[in-house]
Amino acid sequence: MTKTFPHAVMALALAIVSAERRSWALAMRAEFDVAAVEGGALSFASGCLVAAWRDRLSHARGRFVPGLYALALLLMLPMAALQIGCAVLGLPYLYPGQRGLAGAMLVGDAHEALLSGIYLSAVPSLVLLQLMTGLAHLRLAWVLVEQDWSAALDWALRTLAATIALIVFMGVLFLDSRQVLLQGLVVGIELALIVIVARRHRSLWPTSDVERTG
Amino acid sequence: MRLVLAVLLEQRLEWRHGYDLLKQTGLSSGTLYPLLMRMTDGGLVEAEWREPAKVGRPPRHAYRLTASGIALALQLAGSSDVLSGREALA
Repeated sequence: MTKTFPHAVMALALAIVSAERRSWALAMRAEFDVAAVEGGALSFASGCLVAAWRDRLSHARGRFVPGLYALALLLMLPMAALQIGCAVLGLPYLYPGQRGLAGAMLVGDAHEALLSGIYLSAVPSLVLLQLMTGLAHLRLAWVLVEQDWSAALDWALRTLAATIALIVFMGVLFLDSRQVLLQGLVVGIELALIVIVARRHRSLWPTSDVERTG
Repeated sequence: MRLVLAVLLEQRLEWRHGYDLLKQTGLSSGTLYPLLMRMTDGGLVEAEWREPAKVGRPPRHAYRLTASGIALALQLAGSSDVLSGREALA
């Protein structure tokens, strides 16, 4: 454990060093062996980890990949979790008052009897649409970090289409669509971000259309 | 950066390894390597792979000042001498 931990920290540092600095990664690795012999492996490896991050974040190309992961982890995966959770738990967050579809169907009101049959028959379709938007979001996050821009655009458009279908469906049923409209707005922002990120990638690596950057 | 320049200036013709520079400057690797990278990018320091002293060890990166690095290090050393002289007079 005491020997493997500094090696693990060093391996992490070397993985973070950008491709342009590969020779520096090898230089640090060679000095790590000397530091290990002299008993300073962990402090040396920790410093190299700091150095790798500092260098990576100091230039635009180095910031690009962490930015993609941040977008996927902080925006797309939470959206996917919200949408899938919403579908699996019976759409509890989709309606005002967070009372789920029961709240939307005016349970307990006088006209419940007239509407509940229609709404109940619509539930599977609404749940399916909501689940589709969540799963599409998961796939979208995946292709984004893989830097597959055409697939990312494709999945963002599919997510937007499913969300618009959900909005229309809920509008036809005279349900309050405010929460879904918000989701649609977020998907629209994501679509715009994907276009911006893809353009940024082209400007940073103008010669490689298909090359992945790591 | 002044410290690294000063240490490299002491043996300006010698190639110095990263770990030796760490020990002599007292800097951490997290400070020294970004400095060496920037100084190499700026043409103040040159880096070269050197064969190891012991057989079976990997080659090591070694560093020394370039002509412009020496000029800057001498200039900085001169200005610090002037400053310390003024402090002594004050």
